[in-house]
Amino acid sequence: MSFVLATLRKDFKRILQDPAALVSWLGIPLLIGTIMVLLSGGKEGPKPQAHVLVVDRDDSFLSGLLVGSLSQDRAGGFVQAESVEESEGRARIAKGEASALLVIPEGFADALLQDEPAEIELVKNPAQRILPGLVEEMVSVMVEGTFYAQRTFGDELRPIFDDLRAREDAGESTGPSDQLVSTVAIRVNGIVERLQNELFPPAIVLRTEAPPEIRAAIADSIAAAGGDVEEKEPAAKRTIALLFVPGLLFMSLLFMSQGIASDVWREREMKTLRRVVASPRPVAAFLLGKVLAGVAFVAAVAAVALAAGYAYFELPWATYPLAVAWCAISGALLIVLLAWIKMGAGSARASEILSMAVIFPLMMLGGSFFPFEAMPEGMRAIGKWTPNGWALLRLKEILLGEIAPATLAASLGGLLAVIAVLFLLSARRLGGRFARSG
Amino acid sequence: MIRVENLRKTYGDFVAVDGVSFAAEPGQVFGLLGPNGAGKSTTIGCISGLLRPTDGHVSVLGHDVVSDGPASRRQLGVVPQELALYEDLSARENLEYWGAAYGLRGAALAARVDSVLGTIGLADRAKDPPSKFSGGMKRRLNFGCGIVHEPHALLLDEPTVGVDPQSRVNLLDLVREQAKRGVCVLYTTHYMEEAESLCDTIAIVDHGKIIAAGTLDELRVLIGERDLLRLTGTFDPTRVREVLGRIDDAEVVQAEPESLTVAMRGASGRLSDVFQALRESGAEVRETTLTRPNLESLFIKLTGKELRE
Repeated sequence: MSFVLATLRKDFKRILQDPAALVSWLGIPLLIGTIMVLLSGGKEGPKPQAHVLVVDRDDSFLSGLLVGSLSQDRAGGFVQAESVEESEGRARIAKGEASALLVIPEGFADALLQDEPAEIELVKNPAQRILPGLVEEMVSVMVEGTFYAQRTFGDELRPIFDDLRAREDAGESTGPSDQLVSTVAIRVNGIVERLQNELFPPAIVLRTEAPPEIRAAIADSIAAAGGDVEEKEPAAKRTIALLFVPGLLFMSLLFMSQGIASDVWREREMKTLRRVVASPRPVAAFLLGKVLAGVAFVAAVAAVALAAGYAYFELPWATYPLAVAWCAISGALLIVLLAWIKMGAGSARASEILSMAVIFPLMMLGGSFFPFEAMPEGMRAIGKWTPNGWALLRLKEILLGEIAPATLAASLGGLLAVIAVLFLLSARRLGGRFARSG
Repeated sequence: MIRVENLRKTYGDFVAVDGVSFAAEPGQVFGLLGPNGAGKSTTIGCISGLLRPTDGHVSVLGHDVVSDGPASRRQLGVVPQELALYEDLSARENLEYWGAAYGLRGAALAARVDSVLGTIGLADRAKDPPSKFSGGMKRRLNFGCGIVHEPHALLLDEPTVGVDPQSRVNLLDLVREQAKRGVCVLYTTHYMEEAESLCDTIAIVDHGKIIAAGTLDELRVLIGERDLLRLTGTFDPTRVREVLGRIDDAEVVQAEPESLTVAMRGASGRLSDVFQALRESGAEVRETTLTRPNLESLFIKLTGKELRE
């Protein structure tokens, strides 16, 4: 054990005495993170907004409803819709001046009411990745909603639209008569009552949260009656910056692990590894000390980075020690994995190339460059099962207080088991030809 | 004691060590002398546990290096040919780490490190990293790392390669001190002068085999009193052997179309006879070297080539 500790101390000192490596391990992700946080405006920054150009060739009441619903508050202020002429709209989307162009064809409302096929056109800006995709999702939902509304209430609503059209043809600017509206409203209400059980099944539970002043009044009354009140901290808010920051921390972990794992090659080239093999100590003890030094360093970095993150994003501090421990253990996984990979290469240079070829795809897929939330489905499905991606998802759950103890225990057990297997494989490789042929 | 019996190490079809046997005693320096690639480092590797012998037995103070590896390695100190130091740690930290690798700790480790720093002359540079040291100082620290745990047997694999003359003298003195303390020292070198001045017993190795072994005096008997005459030029090996065979006590050690080695007593006074005979054979001589009897001439006599070839 004393040799493990001696190796831990020795390697921890050596890590700290390589300032260039420290700068690159921490500086690159910090730089990228700072840029991303600044771009997203930090925790209180402006929300991203999609600029949608709308060409309404139909110019009907129904198409107006569709366009209006795009920019309503219920869309979270996410879309800024601007009505334009078609030629102008196509020219501007070609120049990349908006996220998308929505074209509603002439006869859209008629087709919808007559149960005939209708088609609307959405042109996405290929230069943008996330916003056009979200606009497409929103329009799809609205089209589906309109379709089902038409299927359900089409017969009841049709007299109103016929009346409106007749009035337009007669040059009248007034709306439908009160009698017609009342008749239609009663019929629609009857349908809603009939469908109520199917539309709002009792299995769906609606949870409401009282405003703070009401919660305080309830707490006071419980306390007055001699009861205890346990006030839970609210779950952390997901902001764009918070989506990126854990991924950047893992980018830093990957860089650190890569650098720490490279030390097996440095030991071989310094011939100190041969001295270890010629000593009475097992090579596994040497590797354990080296991995623990790396883990200690990763833990120290994670402790500082996470403390800053918890303070900045006002996360619940109760999960802080767990988050630091999770990062440290994840670091152990990445160190032994990369050490094992590196020792399989034929030279130190080849090992660097090999490990870079591994860690950059891991960063891309594992949520370090782009958060999982912004990834295409296929990429996300793969990324969630990369070692860093899997560990990153658990970290996010820990940060947001969303992980169940059973899930955490199972995840921790699985992680430690994988680390143990990779450690044994690495120790075997280290004490074999790798050390003896160097 | 280090005992090596019929040691054999092969890599596929290549035989690096071929049936080597010797015994190195405590308090003595046992030298393995041979050219590069002779199998010296492979032998050291098998003793230190770096390499697994293909066949044969090796033991250190009675502990077999294969079946009782950790116990045998506990008795050994290794000073490798290449520097094996942490350039980013201080001299003291290097010694402390390698002491810990052999189980030293606490006050015993600190005292031993201080003692070694004094022995290798680096007490005043203990806090400096090797990156600030001269080549000779690094060599001494490399040596110190091998003796910090006070081993009973010490393996030195060509520790003076690339070292300046003064540092070499210092290192050889350090090795002698270890032998005086009763340590069993196994020293490999391809420098004949080093082996002659340092080693009590010498084994001459070539192509993985020991071709001669004994004390310096015993080896001198093998050499005999004959000088070695080495010539380069153009020769007909068959004719040369024929004409030189007529000269009393002249022995053709090696004859090639472009080189010739002849062993004979008092060669310096009989050069005219040799040149006369060579002229008769049609040879053209470009260069002549006369070597007095030493280990090098024994090696040439036994192998027909120089030690450094």
